[in-house]
Amino acid sequence: MATLTEPKVRSGGGPPPPITPLLPRGGDGSGGSGPDPSASAATARIAVYIGMCASTMTFMALLSAMFVRRGLATNNDWHRLPVPPLLWWNTVALLLSSVAVDIGRRAFRAGRRSEFRMLWLTGTALGTWFLIGQSINWKFLADHGFYMQHNPASAFFYVLTWAHAAHVIGALAALYYVACRALFFPFVPMNRNVLEVSAIFWHFLDVMWLLLMAIFEFWS
Amino acid sequence: MEAATLTTRRSVRHRIFSTGLFSTDHRVIARQYFFLSLFAVVVGVCLSLLMRFHLVWPQAKVSWFEKIWSVRAESGIMTEELYLSLMTLHGTIMVFFVLTLAPLNAFANLVLPEQLGQREMAFPRLNMLSFWVTMASFLTLIASCVLDEGGPIAGWTAYPPLSAVGSVSGPGEGLGQTFWFFSIGVFCIGSLLSAMNIISTVIECRRPGMSLMQMPLTCWNWFVTAILSVLSFPVLLAAGLLILLDRLAGTSFFVPGDLLIAERNVDHSGGSPLLWQHLFWFFGHPEVYIAILPGMGIVSHIISNFSRRPPFSYRASVWAPIAIAFLGMLVWGHHMFISGISPYSALTFSLVTMSIGAPSAALTLNWLGTAFQSPRLELNTAMLFCLGFVSLFVTGGLTGLFLGQPEIDAYFHDTAFVVAHFHMIMGMAALFAVFAATFYWFPLMFGRMLGEELGKLHFYLTFVGAYALFLPMHFAGFAGNPRRYADFTNFDFLKPVMPLQRWITMTAFALGAVQLIFIWNLFWSMLRGAPAPSNPWSGATLEWNPEGELPGGEPYFYPVKMDVTT
Repeated sequence: MATLTEPKVRSGGGPPPPITPLLPRGGDGSGGSGPDPSASAATARIAVYIGMCASTMTFMALLSAMFVRRGLATNNDWHRLPVPPLLWWNTVALLLSSVAVDIGRRAFRAGRRSEFRMLWLTGTALGTWFLIGQSINWKFLADHGFYMQHNPASAFFYVLTWAHAAHVIGALAALYYVACRALFFPFVPMNRNVLEVSAIFWHFLDVMWLLLMAIFEFWS
Repeated sequence: MEAATLTTRRSVRHRIFSTGLFSTDHRVIARQYFFLSLFAVVVGVCLSLLMRFHLVWPQAKVSWFEKIWSVRAESGIMTEELYLSLMTLHGTIMVFFVLTLAPLNAFANLVLPEQLGQREMAFPRLNMLSFWVTMASFLTLIASCVLDEGGPIAGWTAYPPLSAVGSVSGPGEGLGQTFWFFSIGVFCIGSLLSAMNIISTVIECRRPGMSLMQMPLTCWNWFVTAILSVLSFPVLLAAGLLILLDRLAGTSFFVPGDLLIAERNVDHSGGSPLLWQHLFWFFGHPEVYIAILPGMGIVSHIISNFSRRPPFSYRASVWAPIAIAFLGMLVWGHHMFISGISPYSALTFSLVTMSIGAPSAALTLNWLGTAFQSPRLELNTAMLFCLGFVSLFVTGGLTGLFLGQPEIDAYFHDTAFVVAHFHMIMGMAALFAVFAATFYWFPLMFGRMLGEELGKLHFYLTFVGAYALFLPMHFAGFAGNPRRYADFTNFDFLKPVMPLQRWITMTAFALGAVQLIFIWNLFWSMLRGAPAPSNPWSGATLEWNPEGELPGGEPYFYPVKMDVTT
């Protein structure tokens, strides 16, 4: 049985002594892992999964508010919003972007760098197109008289698409970062983590957008 | 000469960005959170004392009121709007910037990595960013109350429709309330970043061989609390976004139609104030556990340490907070018993609320079992605060059983009984855990010991003061004393309660004065306290034993087998 030793009094105040080097890290299957590249990738993946949980909760809160608000539309103030045709093309662009990013990620893993660069840039460009297309859609709706104030259905459309676009902007920043590194700088392990987690988050936004589209088309 | 200047500049820059304000060191960030919370609690307590003063002497003229609040305290008498603004700030500051930040962000940052055998959090820069985002939120909140038209007055729950229609509903509901919503939105982001860091650290950065079931109970509770944060803060963020759109863009998410305010018809239609309550309390009730669960972990840890034995049941102490957190996500409706929800929903929410008593009782028995089976109980200040926590937790928890029943809540809901209940369990109990943690980990924070004699004096006076203040408040609630009212001196049915209210106010001032002992002790010990030994409490966890091994070579994993020979 272990014995606790008497405390040793240090000679002066000030901050506690630095921690001595720890055991080598890397995980043994039963515990945590350390800061080697693979472990950092795992930590980054955990972080992005947590981020996805938080984003999912945000969207679920907005969607549940939308369901409740529609159920309360007693004075017929809920008017169905026409889905702008460009929204479908945007959806296709986002899906293709996700496919390009994922194939690019696999190409990177396989060491096919030029193929990776081409696919990643394609995915990033399609993602940018999606964002531009969304702003065209908002203008289209405003031009046809669908403002936030007049109809809760259009208010929720704007809120949900804005919230999604805010996420897309964040994810696109990561895609552009990886694209710039791929084009102009040699790769280091850190960037591989950014590549992996930005691809995962991009797919998540894809799935979230499909859910939103289904709700806009079939329910709202 | 030029080279020397350059070196000095670099050194200054290094001090600022590496070890100073923008440091990524987890202990520095912990101290930043600690001092932010300390400042916030001082402000929050001062606000509450002003409120208590006004409740008892509403017509008192105080010359410096007029100097500070020229509009809302004209001629030195505090107006109702000023009272409501103080109440809003008090609630917001205490719930968000004290009870959320101190037990979780401050102390998790201080010791979580090292208790897991690490030297840093998983994402140090994100850690620094989350503190500064939180600081931005605090500054925004403070800015909201120095605006010309006065601070926000909607309370920390910001119920619509009055909070959602802007300045038409009164002074303080304009720009001040908008700032308040922005502040809370930014706070949500800061808390999410922090929670992300804590969860990643626990999952991925444990020392090799340390399984989840070998983590200290503090780590478990911070972990569960961080998960609660990730699940609940986004909901508040979404609700805040919607209510800001109601205020700024003219939407009608929470504002009903045909609403007449101050003889003006508000141009909204079809929204539901109840929708806000659902969204807000879906966050708000887990927030109660975000405030108290870290305290539970701290108390489990410290009681075990000073009982010189492992926790009575480690597994129960792990699973009980998980059960509390899970059930806590399902009981938001008990805040809405009198808001007009279906009786069937109320019954369901009530049953689930009651069931939280089971894991809470298991935890309490664990604490008591650990202490009673101690071979040598050490009643130092940290331990005393932990035992005080247990007492307040049980007292506050028992009154929760009343409020969890719709029939009884119908009477108590808008009375001082609720104020007494949540101040006892969420306010005082959580603060006792923070005091305990401060005494226990002060050597790690500042390399010195926090004065024990003054600490014990502070504990006894605070413990007596807490009961002297909040126990009578329950009786005021029995008498139907309403809460959130700025002045109830004119109600005949409350005249018999006024002596009790005066007692509560005087006790509040006395309890506030007692806290000066702590403040003095803290700063004096920081500067002049006795140098701290490397392991002053013979702690069995890795923050005290960074080499990670006992003298016999046994690894220091928790729950450690303790010998009582020391």
